[in-house]
Amino acid sequence: MLEPMESLDEDAKLMVRYRDGDSGAFLTLYARHKGPLYRYLLRQVRNAGAAADLFQDVWSRLVATRGRYEARAKFATYLFHIAHNCTIDFFRRDLKMRNTARPDDADALSEPEVPEYQRPDGIAEFAEQQSALLAALGALPREQREAFLLHEETGLTIEEIARVTDVGVETAKSRLRYAIRKLKKSLLPAPIPGAQPLRTRTI
Amino acid sequence: MDPPDDLDEYLRGNSALSRQYRRESAPMPPHALDRRVLGLPRGTHGTARRLTPYLAPLAFAASVLLSVALVLAIVFGPQTAKRVDDAPRLVRVAAHSDTLTNPRLNRKVQLYSSDPKFARAPSDWLADIAALRRAGRDREADAELRRFRSTYPDYSTGELAIRPQGHP
Repeated sequence: MLEPMESLDEDAKLMVRYRDGDSGAFLTLYARHKGPLYRYLLRQVRNAGAAADLFQDVWSRLVATRGRYEARAKFATYLFHIAHNCTIDFFRRDLKMRNTARPDDADALSEPEVPEYQRPDGIAEFAEQQSALLAALGALPREQREAFLLHEETGLTIEEIARVTDVGVETAKSRLRYAIRKLKKSLLPAPIPGAQPLRTRTI
Repeated sequence: MDPPDDLDEYLRGNSALSRQYRRESAPMPPHALDRRVLGLPRGTHGTARRLTPYLAPLAFAASVLLSVALVLAIVFGPQTAKRVDDAPRLVRVAAHSDTLTNPRLNRKVQLYSSDPKFARAPSDWLADIAALRRAGRDREADAELRRFRSTYPDYSTGELAIRPQGHP
């Protein structure tokens, strides 16, 4: 059941306007969501070139299917559901490619596929991975990383994360719980090698 | 015993984890990628709709101009093409066919030609040279004689033909 226009979030209204032919609405939507979407894709696939391709793919699908858009929920859930599907397709293709690759191609696969125009940003992004938190984020299982990114980048609730990722609410909650538990450990100061614990003297 | 659940605290916002994540770098899509994406809707319908009021008079004028050009091309196109095509044909006629049928052209071409194929018979050529001498046109007669000799180097010319009386 469609929600009345008054109760829609601002972005959903913009998407409806874009569906009906207002290209200016698309520019606003793009400006609002390009950063979160790009970071979601970049930190999910951890490859600047692949993230750029997926980024364009997501917006292309949104443009191509705008005529069928129905404002059922928050616009971010619609956009990131497309992004989720794109990343799922990417990981399937990647897994298939790795399974069919010859052993000689192992080195080639481990290198990032970065287009020429993307290289400076790719270098910056890989340098960013030196951060302890982002390194821990990259080490998370993909589903847990996705739950954390969806909440941090878009402010989606547990229910909305579940809708975007096509899982139950409890599953989404469990993924996010495990994610933050592991990530919080990265915030703890690293122990200094060789340091002795402080001794307290009781008088 | 389960460890303390941090999820509720985290979902309330402003947790240390969220603050730290927001302090991390926030990469944005490069401008080239922006241009590629923003070209998607503009290429479909958006820009066209916005510019239609401004482009309508220009589109009408362009249509009229194209229609007039098309009519002109249909009415005058074949004639113009024929004229252009006729020019080289006339040249060819003058150079080949008419020189063979027009005695006057034929005579003139052969008179001054040093090509044996187009040259007149030696006796006729020498008669013309002699006529030039008699008319007092010695320079022309000398030029024709040089051409005659280059064409018929082994042909003997009569002295009377090349040296009119009274000339050294």
